[in-house]
Amino acid sequence: MLEFFRFSAVRVALAFVLVTTVATTAVFGLVYLEIREANEARNRLILEAEAAKSADRSADELRTAFEVRLTHDLRRIDYAALFDSNHKVMFGNIDMLPAIEIDGKSHYVTATRVPDSDNSREPAIFVARARPDGTIMVLGRSLLESLAFRRIAQGALAAGLAPMLLLALGIGVFFARRASRRLTAIHDTIARIVKGDTQRRLPVSSQHDTIDKISRDVNLMLDEIVRLLVQIKGVGDNIAHDLRSPLAVVHARLERGLESPNDEQLRASVKQALIHIDKAMLTVTALLRLADVEYGPRSSNFQSIDLSAICTELFEFYEPLATSKLIKMTLETQSPVQIIGDGDLMREAVSNLIGNAIKFTPENGTVSISVTREDDLPVVRVRDTGIGIEPAERDKIFQRFYRTASGHRVPGSGLGLSIAAAIANLHEFDLRFGGNDPGAVFEMVGRRR
Amino acid sequence: LTDKPATRPQTIVLVEDETDLATEIKAELETRGHLVRTASVAEAADAARVGDAAMMIMDRIVFGQDSLVTLEALRKEGIKVPVLVISALASVDEKVKGLTAGGDDYLTKPFAMVELVARVDALLRRLDDVRTTKLRVGDLEMDLIEKTVYRGDTRIDLLPREFRLMEYFLRHPGRVITRAMLLEEVWQYHFSLETNVVDVHISNLRKKIDTKGPPSLILNIRGAGFMLNANA
Repeated sequence: MLEFFRFSAVRVALAFVLVTTVATTAVFGLVYLEIREANEARNRLILEAEAAKSADRSADELRTAFEVRLTHDLRRIDYAALFDSNHKVMFGNIDMLPAIEIDGKSHYVTATRVPDSDNSREPAIFVARARPDGTIMVLGRSLLESLAFRRIAQGALAAGLAPMLLLALGIGVFFARRASRRLTAIHDTIARIVKGDTQRRLPVSSQHDTIDKISRDVNLMLDEIVRLLVQIKGVGDNIAHDLRSPLAVVHARLERGLESPNDEQLRASVKQALIHIDKAMLTVTALLRLADVEYGPRSSNFQSIDLSAICTELFEFYEPLATSKLIKMTLETQSPVQIIGDGDLMREAVSNLIGNAIKFTPENGTVSISVTREDDLPVVRVRDTGIGIEPAERDKIFQRFYRTASGHRVPGSGLGLSIAAAIANLHEFDLRFGGNDPGAVFEMVGRRR
Repeated sequence: LTDKPATRPQTIVLVEDETDLATEIKAELETRGHLVRTASVAEAADAARVGDAAMMIMDRIVFGQDSLVTLEALRKEGIKVPVLVISALASVDEKVKGLTAGGDDYLTKPFAMVELVARVDALLRRLDDVRTTKLRVGDLEMDLIEKTVYRGDTRIDLLPREFRLMEYFLRHPGRVITRAMLLEEVWQYHFSLETNVVDVHISNLRKKIDTKGPPSLILNIRGAGFMLNANA
């Protein structure tokens, strides 16, 4: 039950009930006070007028009038008496002169003994007026009626408030229950996810409220975490695979070398073993590099760099290699294409793309590099006429270690594109792939901000 | 510029807390005729202060301590002993940190022994006078001010990058130079390349400078890199 009151919905409901009560009571109170005020003012006026009217009458006339009033006109005058100059009652239904000023104005008296009763008292208003003969006339009116009116008002308030409070509470409880059900569902789901059921997602209703919005965000976060988990697992598998096979080969070669009868064969085995170890080291270096780009803090080296200059420099660096493979290489740059970034990293990314293009392009092919601004976005494009990439494999090429079936004959760590993609991402660029028929196009395009 | 071999310290001081790797490095350098002493960071610093070290090889992190702090302190004291920093921290930022702290070269683990040896040799033989205006090997002469190269009487026209490549070889005659060293020093590329671009550049350079036919001025060293034939 205590748990129940922790839900914000219940708290809101209770606050709502409280506010409603206060507001309703205030309205009732105001109406009541206004009516009572008007009523009392009217009574005062009547009393004062009566007193003024009767001031000139003789004592006998008054006596008769009082009797008539007190017996037949109870609604307007409840008290009437005439006192002599010594404040002793001459006739009327009041024993004692009330303790008020004798000025013909009405005054409030808290407790007045009710005539013809033993000891009951009531609030009343009185008017005392001195007459020319020295006697004092007192008229009064009971306020019991006002008390009764107050009681009625209170009763009505209670009668009106009770069902409203119940309704508000009911609605509060309903929403709290529902919220609690949703929160419990979320809680249970999270518990399952924590236990390893990573495919589960938080329930999202059709209400588009805050809980839904947060649930959706959490689900997106979970998707990303799961993607990373799968990737890490994949990387782990690939490391194991990529390192285990060269190690196994090294092991076998060395063993064979040891068993061989002559030194020449031993040397040959050792040499081959070294080549495989170098390959493994290349992979480790590339993996460290990738982890560094992807998970390391953003380089402190970000500054204004010119992609045109970087590509021109890389073009000059790679052109002799292309020429030696009888590949034609072209470069198309506009005026400087400035971006904010790390020149070393960008050079590495573009270098990977160009190196790949040359690697996979046969003799008499072409590798063209262009640096442009398209729709005001910087674009570096590397186009080749090489073996291209099968449509089925296009999604996979950015995965770590992925080498196309045909690419397996070409040496490499298989991490070049992953590193390029990670560097592009760090610079808020997208690395995209397209077919060139024949061949491939890789382009790095700045993201629109 | 006077070379005083008699008073020059010969010992390479090695600071490396991975015992296996330290043993391998020591053995490798000793087979190449170097004297090697393993030391703690503090011992190495002392050796440097008394001028007892020809150069130092320093692991970046030794027993959890960043040895760059000590290196920086040494440099502030004005001690100029060449230092090769070796580290598993591979990012360019880390390299820059290592070099600004006073390292003369930075090598990332894992590395091949030939790479380490080549860099040690380069540091030991670093030309003390960088203001030299002419470099020479055999009958090849490079004028650093005129930016000209002559082989005998024949002028050889080199592209700017080829000129820098040639200059680097001329500054390290008779030393093994790895591809990674050339990438870093000539092109300022601090990433590893899987292609043999450097070989193509070397072969283009050879075509220009080997006007007298084989043997080439620049030799291929199998499994390591290249070497300028100092006896040519």
